[in-house]
Amino acid sequence: MSRFLPRLAAVAALLALPAAAGAAEPIPVGLVAALSGQSAVSGEAITRGLTIAIDEINAAGGVLGRPLVLIRRDDESNPGKGVAAARELIYRDHVAAFFGGIDTPVSIALVPLANKEKTPFLGVWAAGTGITRNGASPNFVFRVSAVDALVDERLLRYAATVAKAQHPGLMLINNPWGESNHKGLDAAAKAAGMSLAGAESFEVGDADMIPQLTRLKGAGADAIILVGNAAPAAVVIRSLDRMGWSVPVISHWGISGGRFPELAGPSAEKVAFVQTYSFFKSAPKSEQVLAALEKTYPTIKGPEDVIAPVGTANAYDAMHLLALAIAKAGSTDGPAIQAALEALPPYDGLIKRYAPAFTATNHDALGADDYIMVHFAGGRIVPVE
Amino acid sequence: MLLGASIVSGLAIGAMYGLLALGYHVTWVVSRSVNFAQGSVMMLGAVLAFALTVGLGWPMPAALLVALAGCAAFGVVLERVAVRPFRARGSDSWLMATVAAGMLVENAALFLFGKEPRGMPSSLAAAPLTLFGVGVLPLQIVILVTGIGLALVFVAATRGTPYGKALLAVVQNPRAAQLMGIDAARVTVFAYALSSALAGLAGVLIAPLYSVSADMGFVFGIKGFAAAILGGLENPWGVVLAGLLLGLAEALTTAFAGSAATVMASFGLVILALYLRPHGLFGRASVRKV
Amino acid sequence: MARAWRAPAGALLLALAAGALAFRLDSYQAFVLGEVGVTAIIGIGLNVLIGLSGQMSIGHVAFQAVGAYAVALVTSASPALFWPALVLGTLLSALIGGLLAFPAVRLSGPYLAMITIAAAFVIEHGIIGWKGLTGGASGIANVAEMPLPWPYQGGASAQALAAVILAIAAALFGAYAWFRTSRTGLALVAVRGSETAAASVGLDPVALKCLAFALSAGLAGLAGGLFAPLAGFISPETFPLSASILYVLAVMMGGAGATLGPLYGALVVVVLPEMLAGLAEYRLLFVGGLLLIVLLITPDGIAGTLERGVRRWRRAPACQPPAPRLDLTAFLGDQAACPGAPALEAVGLAIGFGGLRAVENLSFIAAAGAVTALIGPNGAGKSTALNLLSGFYRADRGSIRLAGRLVADPAARHLARSGLARGFQTVLLFDALSAAENVLVALHGSGERSRGAAERAMQLLRCVGFEGDPTAPAAGLAQRERRQVEIARALALRPRVLLLDEPAAGLTVAERAPLGELIRSIAAAGVAVVLVEHDLKLVMGLSDHVVVLDQGRVIAQGGPEAVQANPAVRVAYLGGAAAPAAERPPAAASGAETMLNVVGLTAGYGAAAVVRDVSFDVRAGEMLAILGANGAGKSTLLAAMVGLKRPQAGSVELAGAALSGLSAAAIAARGLVLVPEGRQVFPELSVLDNLRLGAFARRAWPEDAELEGVFARFPRLRERARQRAGLLSGGEQQMLAIARGLLARPRVLLLDEPSLGLAPQVAERLFADLARLAAEGLTMVLVDQMASLALTVANRGIVLENGRIVRSGEAAVLAADSALASAYLGGAVPGSEALVL
Repeated sequence: MSRFLPRLAAVAALLALPAAAGAAEPIPVGLVAALSGQSAVSGEAITRGLTIAIDEINAAGGVLGRPLVLIRRDDESNPGKGVAAARELIYRDHVAAFFGGIDTPVSIALVPLANKEKTPFLGVWAAGTGITRNGASPNFVFRVSAVDALVDERLLRYAATVAKAQHPGLMLINNPWGESNHKGLDAAAKAAGMSLAGAESFEVGDADMIPQLTRLKGAGADAIILVGNAAPAAVVIRSLDRMGWSVPVISHWGISGGRFPELAGPSAEKVAFVQTYSFFKSAPKSEQVLAALEKTYPTIKGPEDVIAPVGTANAYDAMHLLALAIAKAGSTDGPAIQAALEALPPYDGLIKRYAPAFTATNHDALGADDYIMVHFAGGRIVPVE
Repeated sequence: MLLGASIVSGLAIGAMYGLLALGYHVTWVVSRSVNFAQGSVMMLGAVLAFALTVGLGWPMPAALLVALAGCAAFGVVLERVAVRPFRARGSDSWLMATVAAGMLVENAALFLFGKEPRGMPSSLAAAPLTLFGVGVLPLQIVILVTGIGLALVFVAATRGTPYGKALLAVVQNPRAAQLMGIDAARVTVFAYALSSALAGLAGVLIAPLYSVSADMGFVFGIKGFAAAILGGLENPWGVVLAGLLLGLAEALTTAFAGSAATVMASFGLVILALYLRPHGLFGRASVRKV
Repeated sequence: MARAWRAPAGALLLALAAGALAFRLDSYQAFVLGEVGVTAIIGIGLNVLIGLSGQMSIGHVAFQAVGAYAVALVTSASPALFWPALVLGTLLSALIGGLLAFPAVRLSGPYLAMITIAAAFVIEHGIIGWKGLTGGASGIANVAEMPLPWPYQGGASAQALAAVILAIAAALFGAYAWFRTSRTGLALVAVRGSETAAASVGLDPVALKCLAFALSAGLAGLAGGLFAPLAGFISPETFPLSASILYVLAVMMGGAGATLGPLYGALVVVVLPEMLAGLAEYRLLFVGGLLLIVLLITPDGIAGTLERGVRRWRRAPACQPPAPRLDLTAFLGDQAACPGAPALEAVGLAIGFGGLRAVENLSFIAAAGAVTALIGPNGAGKSTALNLLSGFYRADRGSIRLAGRLVADPAARHLARSGLARGFQTVLLFDALSAAENVLVALHGSGERSRGAAERAMQLLRCVGFEGDPTAPAAGLAQRERRQVEIARALALRPRVLLLDEPAAGLTVAERAPLGELIRSIAAAGVAVVLVEHDLKLVMGLSDHVVVLDQGRVIAQGGPEAVQANPAVRVAYLGGAAAPAAERPPAAASGAETMLNVVGLTAGYGAAAVVRDVSFDVRAGEMLAILGANGAGKSTLLAAMVGLKRPQAGSVELAGAALSGLSAAAIAARGLVLVPEGRQVFPELSVLDNLRLGAFARRAWPEDAELEGVFARFPRLRERARQRAGLLSGGEQQMLAIARGLLARPRVLLLDEPSLGLAPQVAERLFADLARLAAEGLTMVLVDQMASLALTVANRGIVLENGRIVRSGEAAVLAADSALASAYLGGAVPGSEALVL
C-alpha cells in the first residue's frame, strides 16, 4: 500500500495537467472509439484524420478565435464503456460535440445520450442505418460515413451487372456489422429480385474458411459478397486459393487499408470493393492531406501506409464540417451547433463537394452516389472499369 | 469433397490448438499452474519473428530461434513476476496475475508493433499441394507433424527419462523432490520457458496462414486452453488429440451445420465432455486416499 | 451477537451515505458509482463462490447478460414491470447457474474455469443466434428507465438509479456478512476445506456447491438487471469475457472471503480505469500493470491488508470464561444404546483394487459401550476396512448393519447422519474454520439448530481436553490439538459408532495415556468405538474386543489376551520367525575420516530459533542417533542440514566440503540425502518410478539388479511396483521413502522417523536392515521415536532439548541411562514394543 499511494497520486497529477490550459480557452471536442483491442486500428485512423484537421484549423486561428482540442476515450468496443466515456466527455470535459468510432452498437448506445444531453454526435465510421435514422427530433446525430443499407444495394448491383452473378453467397464477419449487412443484403436481394445462395459467418480468429466456402460452393454460389476486416477477409481469399475456386469476390470497405495485398497475397487484386475515398487519388486536396499525414506520422511514407483510409478521410471531413458549424453557430452551445450543421453552406471536402452536407431530414453526408467500386492493382487502389 | 476439405482444415487448425495445449500441459504437470497469457505469448512469438524477418531481413531459421528464445525469456520473467510470488504464498492469484501480464503484453505490442494486422510471407504457405483432391499448404502439414511430433517427444521424455520423471515429481511433492536432488524452482522456471517457447512456436507457425497482430492470440489462447482441458491437462497425448478433435469438431460443424452453430457446438462439446469425464477425455483422476 | 449486527448496520449507514452522495454527483459520476455497485453485487456473488465454497467461475458475465436481457426484454413490453423482471432475471440466472453447476461441481481448478468459459461462450452465441428475441448482435436499444417507487413519478435519473443500486449492494453486503457465519456459510467453507471430512459430518458437497453456484449466478443476474437501465443499451458486446475476468480479479484483489472485499475490488477495477481514461489507448497498458502491482502488494487482498493495519490498533480480545463441562452421556442422549448391544455389524465385506484383494470377507460386531480394535501388520487392510465401514469405499460384496438395521445406501454422508462418526489417519480438519466452528458444522449436521450450538461446541472441545484457542483457524493447531478437535467434531454428530484411525500417531508416549482415557470415556457413554492403532500396548490396554487382519482377511478375533496367545497372530506379525536381532555395527575406526561435520548450527522459524548452536560430527561408517522429546528440534536440525531450511548461523561440511549456501537439491546431489518424515512419496508416479527417482540425486537411472536388491529388502514394494504410490498404505509409503533414499547411494543418509507408521515387527526388521547397511559402511544419522531401538543399532547418540545438545556419548551408555530415558526419550523402555506380543 505504501508504494501504491504515491504512484496513484502521480498518475492523478498527470491527468490533472491538461486542465490547466492557456489564455484562449480551447474548445474541447471528444472522440469515443475503439483505441485498444481488435478494432484499435480504426480508432487510430480516426484519430489521425481528426488530428490533421484540427491542426489545420488551429493553424488558421482556430474557431471563434479559440483553438480546438481533441479529448479521446477508449470504448474497448463495449457499448457500456462507450456510454461511460461519453458521459465523462459531456459532463466533465464539456465537449462541444463528439465523434464516434467503428462499432455500431457503441454508436447506437450513444444516440439517446446525445439527444438527451443535446450534444452533437458525429459518426465517422459505424454504418448502422439506425444511428442517424433514430426518430428523435431534434436529432443531434450526424454521420460522415457509409450507410450499410446503401452499400449493400451497391454491392449486389455490382455483383449482378459486372460479375454477372445470380446467386451470390455471403461471407459475413460474426459481429453486429456483419449482422447489419446480412439484413441489408437480404433486403437488397429481395428488392433486386436476386436469390442468395447462402450466408456464412466467420470469427475474427478463424484461420481457415474452407468449410464455410465449401458450403457456399455446394449451394451454388456464383459470387462471394464479403463483409469483414482486412485480416479475416484475407483468410477468406487465401482459403479460396487453396480450394482452387475462382469466383468473383465483392467486398464491403473493410479491406480498404493498404495492407490487404500483403495479407491476402496476389489474389487480393481480384477483389472488387466499395470505397468512399482513397489516398491513391491524385487531387490537390488529397496530396495536401497525405503530405500532412506523412509529416505528422513518420511511419507513413505513401498512400499504401495509410491504415484504414476511410476512417481518416471521414474523420477529416467531419471535423472540418463541425468547425464550420461552430463558426456559423457562433457558440459552442449544442442546439446552436445542431441547427448550424443542418444548414451548412456547400463545402469542398477531401471526399467530395458537400452541397450541403446535411439537411434537416438527411443527417448522412455521404449517399449512394459517393460509393465507387475499386480494386488493388500493383499496390495501388484503382477504380474498376 | 466437403468432408475431405473439412477434415484437412480441422486437423491443421486442431494441431495449432494442440501445440498451445501442450504449453498449458507443461506448466500444469510441473507446477499445477497455467499461464493464462499463453495467447499473448503466442502473439509475441509471431510479432518477434515478423519484426526480425520482414523488419530486419533475417533468414527465417535464425528469426525463429531468436523469437523462441525471446518467448522463453518472457516465460522466465512471467514465472518470476506473476506466478512464483503467488504460488509461494499458496494463493491462486497467479491466475489473475498472468491475465494482467497478458493484458500488459498485448497492449505493449499495440504500440511497439502497431495496430494494423500484417502479413507474414512464407514459402511454405505460397502454393497449395493437392492431397485427396483437397488443397493443402505445406505449412499446414508442418504444423500437424510438429504438433504430433512434439507430443511424442513429450511422452517419450516423461515415460523414459529421469529428467522427464523429475519434471512430474516436483509438483507432487516439492520437498521430497528437492531431497532427490531435483531443483524445484529451476524445474518450474524451465517449464514456463518451455511452455512459452511452444506458444511462440505456435505463433510463428500460424502467422503465415493468418496474420500478425497484437490481438491474434486471444482466441487461440482460449481454444488452446479448451483443448488442454478437453484432453485432460495431465496427458500430453490427450491434449494434442483433443486439439485435433476440437479443430475437427469446429470444421465439421461449420461444414455440415453452418457457421452459426460452430461456437455453440464446439464449446457445447467441451461442456458435454467434461460432464461425462470430469478429468478430460484422456485424463484420469488423481489419487485421493482417505 | 453484537458483532453479527455490526456489518449490516455499517452497510445500512454506507448505503445512506452513498445514496445521499449519489444525488450530488453529475450524471457521469453517478454512472461510474452505479457501475461500482453493479460490480460489487457480482463480486458478492463471486465471493460466495470463490471465497466460501472455493470454486472458480470465469463465465459470470454470461449470467449478468441473462439478467440484463430479461429486464430489457420485459420492460420493453411494459416499463412498469421492472421489479418483477428483475426478480425473473435473478431467478433465471440462478437456475441456469444451478444447472451448469451440476456438472461443474465434479470438476476442480482449471477444469471448472473452462466449463464456465465454455458456458459463457455458449450463452453469448445463444443470444446472438436467437435474433427474434434478443435482437442478435445488434442488441436492444433504449432500455426502459427504472420506474421510481411511489410517490415519485416517471423514470429514475442516473443519480437515483445509482442510489438504488448502491442501496441494494449495501443490503447484500449485510446479507453476506450474516451468511458467512450462518449454517450454510460454514458448511460451504467446510466443503472447500475437505470434501472428505465434510461428507464424514453428513454434509452434501454436491448440493452445497450447486447452491453456491446458483446463489452467485443469481446475484450476477440481479446485477445485470440493474445494469440494463443504467447503460440504456445492451448487446452481446456489452458483456465480453474480459469483464468476467475483471469481476474475478475484483474479488481476489479485494480479498476472497472478506465481507467488504468485493467493494474494494470493485472500486479498483471500475474507478482505476476511469481515472486513467485520459491515457486513451495507453489506458489498458497501465491498468494491466497497476493490477499486477496491486495483486503483488496485497497478497491476501486489500481487505486483508487493511485489516492488518486496523488490528494493530485493536486491543487483544478479553479472555472468555471456560465453558462448563459437558455430560457426554446426556449429550449423546437416546442415541446411545444399552451397553453390549451390537451397534455396528460388518457382514462379509470385500473390496479389491485392480486385482489386489484389499479386504476379503470381513465380518465382526462392534458392541455399544465397548472398544473394538482392528489390528494387523502394514497393508493388512485396516484403513480400507474403516473406509468401507464409513462409506468412503463401496464394498464389492457384503453389507453393513447399523444398530441392527441394514444400511441401504452406505454413502459416507448418509452413514454420518445415521450415527456413524469417524476420524482420519491424517487428521482432516476444515482448516479455514476455527476449532469451535469445526465442531459447530458437525453439530448443525446432527440437527442441532438451537442458539446454544456455539456454547455446545465449546463444551465438546473441553470434553476432549482441548486447551488451544477455539477461535483461531484450525490450520495453525498442533497435532495433538488437531486430533482432539477431530474427535470433538465426530462426537458432535451424537454418534452410535465412532471409528478412529491411528489416533495415537504423532503423539508422544506421554500424550497417549490421556487419549486412552478419552476413548474409554466415550465408550463408557455408550458409543461403540472402533479403533485402528499400531500402538499395541495402547490397544491391548484399551480394547474389549480385538480383530486381527492380515492380507485383508480376519485371522483371529477375541479378547486381548486370547488374541495375543493366538499362534496365527504371531506368525502374521513376525513373518514366521523372529526378526533378526538388530546388532550394533562395529564402531568406526577412530582413524576414519570425518564424513559430516556440523558446527554451531542455528535455525528456526522467524526470529525464534528452534535449533541453537548445535555441533557434532559423524565419521565414515558410523551411525549417529539424534534423540529428544517431540519439539526438541530434531526435524528442524535435519532440515537445516540438508538445505530445506536456511540456517541462521553455523555450517555443515560433507567430507570436508562446505555446503553452506547450496540449495537442497544441490546438497542432495552431493550425497547428503534425507529420508523425510511422513509420507513423502510422489503419489501419482508408480512405485517403480518413485524408486528410480531416488537415483536422480546422482543423475543415474538404477539398473534392474539394484532395484532387485531393494525389492529383496522390501518384498511388499515388489508386489506393488506398478501401482501409483499414492494408493499404498501408510506403512508401505514409509518403506518406499526409505528404499528411495537408499537408491540415491548417499554418502551420508539421514533418516527422520523411519519407523513412524510401521508395525513394530516391521520397524524392528527395518532397524536390522539399517544395522546391516551400517556394517556395509554406510554413514547414517537417525532420528526416531523408538529411542531404545535406535540406540541398539547406533554407535553414538546425541540428545536435544529445546534445540540444544544436552547429552552426547556412546549409544550403549545413553541406552543404559534410565533417567535419561524417562526425561527425554518419552519413557520408552528398551524392548517394550516387543513385550506386548
